[in-house]
Amino acid sequence: MAAIIASRYAVEYPNITKELCGQTVSWLQQQRTEAVAKFAEQGFPTLHDEDWRYTNVSAIEKKLFTSALKIPTSQIDRNWLKSYQLKDAWSVVLIDGHFSSELSELGGLPEKVFVKSMANALETHPELLENYVNKAVNDNEHGFIAFNTAWFTDGLFVHVGAKQCLAKPIQVLHIVTQQDVLIATRTVIVLEQMAEAKIIETFVGMDGAYLSSTVSEVFVGQNADLTLYKTQFESEKAYHFSGSYVKQEQDARFTHHNYAFGGLLARSDIHTDLGQASECELNGLYLGIKRQHIDSHTRINHLKPHGISRELYKGVLDDRAKGVFQARVIVAEDAQKTDSQMNNRNLLLSSDAEADSKPQLEIYADDVKCGHGVTVGQLDDKSIFYLQSRCVDEETARNILTFAFANEMVDKIKIKELHDIVLEQVLSRFPQEGVNKEWL
Amino acid sequence: MSASAQEINNLINQEYKQGFVTELETDTFPPGLDESVIHRLSKIKNEPEFMLEYRLKAFRHWQTMKSPEWAFVNFSPIDYQSISYYSAPKRKEDGPKSLDEIDPQVLEAYKKLGIPLDEQERLAGIAVDAVFDSVSVATTFKGKLKDAGVIFCPISEALREHPELIKEYLGSVVPHTDNYFAALNAAVFTDGSFVYIPKGVRCPMELSTYFRINAANTGQFERTLIIADEGSHVSYLEGCTAPMRDENQLHAAVVELIAMKDAVIKYSTVQNWYPGDKNGLGGIYNFVTKRADCRGDNSKVSWTQVETGSAITWKYPSCILTGDNAIGEFYSVALTNNYQQADTGTKMIHIGKNTSSTIVSKGISAGKAQNTYRGLVKVLKSAENARNYTQCDSLLVGDKCGAHTFPYIEVKQPSAQIEHEATTSKISEDQLFFCQQRGLSAEDAVSMIVNGFCKEVFKELPMEFAVEAQALLGLSLEGSVG
Repeated sequence: MAAIIASRYAVEYPNITKELCGQTVSWLQQQRTEAVAKFAEQGFPTLHDEDWRYTNVSAIEKKLFTSALKIPTSQIDRNWLKSYQLKDAWSVVLIDGHFSSELSELGGLPEKVFVKSMANALETHPELLENYVNKAVNDNEHGFIAFNTAWFTDGLFVHVGAKQCLAKPIQVLHIVTQQDVLIATRTVIVLEQMAEAKIIETFVGMDGAYLSSTVSEVFVGQNADLTLYKTQFESEKAYHFSGSYVKQEQDARFTHHNYAFGGLLARSDIHTDLGQASECELNGLYLGIKRQHIDSHTRINHLKPHGISRELYKGVLDDRAKGVFQARVIVAEDAQKTDSQMNNRNLLLSSDAEADSKPQLEIYADDVKCGHGVTVGQLDDKSIFYLQSRCVDEETARNILTFAFANEMVDKIKIKELHDIVLEQVLSRFPQEGVNKEWL
Repeated sequence: MSASAQEINNLINQEYKQGFVTELETDTFPPGLDESVIHRLSKIKNEPEFMLEYRLKAFRHWQTMKSPEWAFVNFSPIDYQSISYYSAPKRKEDGPKSLDEIDPQVLEAYKKLGIPLDEQERLAGIAVDAVFDSVSVATTFKGKLKDAGVIFCPISEALREHPELIKEYLGSVVPHTDNYFAALNAAVFTDGSFVYIPKGVRCPMELSTYFRINAANTGQFERTLIIADEGSHVSYLEGCTAPMRDENQLHAAVVELIAMKDAVIKYSTVQNWYPGDKNGLGGIYNFVTKRADCRGDNSKVSWTQVETGSAITWKYPSCILTGDNAIGEFYSVALTNNYQQADTGTKMIHIGKNTSSTIVSKGISAGKAQNTYRGLVKVLKSAENARNYTQCDSLLVGDKCGAHTFPYIEVKQPSAQIEHEATTSKISEDQLFFCQQRGLSAEDAVSMIVNGFCKEVFKELPMEFAVEAQALLGLSLEGSVG
């Protein structure tokens, strides 16, 4: 008897296999076969999955997006692209899930560093990649992972050799130009010991509905330092999933900044496993307007002693938007002396907006210091009054305070160019009356 | 061995004090559950027809349900057919009319537990309903309460004498379809307490129920219903113990509180069911559904619980804040030691305007225990200016235990102010050192620090209970430090 197929996508799968990268890599073919079987059985997550209880992705199943075809680079409006592309950075441009060498800018990379498209890396370094693909996360996590393993068309492989310190950031631009398509890419980032890098993942869509899904597997070697920025400006009808799954070795540092502004339904997973004395810092800002649904899911897994984690997510929700924050800190029995702090602050601007927050502590070691805090509320009346008493009208006062609330997270960006792009996006989403750019 | 080490050793080996068994002749149903058992149960209790129908409806629904698995607890599946659903001390034809007719063995048992059933003794200011296995054996101060207009009686008696109240309110807060254990309870509940406080009455004394499981292989399914009519006030206490046995026993209770306009209900629990032995053998499975409906404007319900017993505790005393300006409070101390598991917390559902809720939860985990706080704060769109403050602290004693915090916060109203804070830590070496340096033993120092940690909750308990709770806490922690 044939198994019940939980997803229509699984039925379509045989038609697209020839488009996928890594056809000759046997271990990958094996993984893809298993992943498709797994996905056919479970489909996309449902509200019954505890990690998805606030996020309903059934629309993706209903829409049945089709795979994106490669389009010629000449169709891309370069000026539009430039408004997102950093000048002082190495950049990798993926158009509709396919690497574009013309638009990418990878000149002058140091010797022990290579940055390649996933398709290319699978041809040149299949054995090396076998150590990393599906090693930081596996298909059992949830349907999107199995989906990604089976469907990914291209992506990125970054390998930074030991003791290499990158002078410029690397920016990966995930550009979507077509409508009603599905895009799946896979990224592998490896920092060998004592390496240091800053990587920016930018998600931009032109218009219309599509599904963009990216899985990043990140390996931060001993005493290495990685800062990952994610700026998500998908189109307002888009479905977006991206997951970063991180493994930190001893003394490794990992910093993640998550700016989630776009998409009709956007979900991000940031999961990190901390080794001994490693540190992680997760920051996030989600802005929801209209009918947006933005879900941030984080998991910090303290496996070894002396780890430190800090997490701060802020949300501003207007109109009918819904913000979801789900975060879990797990402290294993071994992980004594762990120090963990998690915070989530939500600002609701409209009576139709909704904030759901689920911060969790799961602790099996006794000598730890862990805490979390959540607030949901509106602007402080006293602060508004204070500004009014200084001749600022109420509306402006509200704008200033809302902006200041969000700007705390924007100010954490250390790369000036990126800071300005993100700031521009924040300002474009909320009334800026009274928010004088000269101050910033 | 020094004298103090000897003392500590004695304390460690101290047994669960309430673990004795009372030998009695009983009426007990053979194990098993089907519709005929429910018919028999209903007949023995002499219940009105509508009650039997309600039970059967619940039973049929229960059969379609699956045992929930989401909680953070581990236990082997329960065989519901191996449990006896009714056990009561054998009684004379008409049942006891006065204390003199109660089985002296039962009286003796309660005396041993320190619960006086004669109205003269120590706890003279408290009216007690004593539930022994499946039946209520005695209720004190009935007369005095009747003078005030308060109805305080076993629920089986209320079913016969006040069917109109039962019909209106039973299952109106926790419907029989609510969850697996609530459905089971609705089908087979045997006894419990019923309280009705009429309009404008301030109940003249504290009411309390003492639950005792005695018989083996039985489950206790009690049902408590408290209705506080407009402007009334009541404080209710609940205590429970059970004998030590190697097999697990099931306790699945349902408690419903209804607070009308301006009414205040204060519900305190000191839960000390048998927790199982040091190796995690035996103990009570305490799967309880407790919920309060603050129906009227300005009503207030306050839950205070001290959970030290049970092999597994699974309970979430909740408040539905329907009326405007309603207040819900939840104060909890949950202590787990050895192999105990607790998954407990609360739900605060804000519906009315200007509703406010406070949650203070203190979890202490020692030995190999797992202690989980799980709570929901939900603010609906209608709940303008809702306010919640949540504080969950966990204390870890020993490196083999776990403490977990799983709050759920759902807000659909921008004028709501929600604050949640949680911390997890162990008793700091500095604090211990400070106490020891001032001449306290390690054991005393820990006990003192823990008591300080729980003080916020204990101060909510009525005085007699606060004393008991502090002593219990000391007792349950023994052997985990030193």
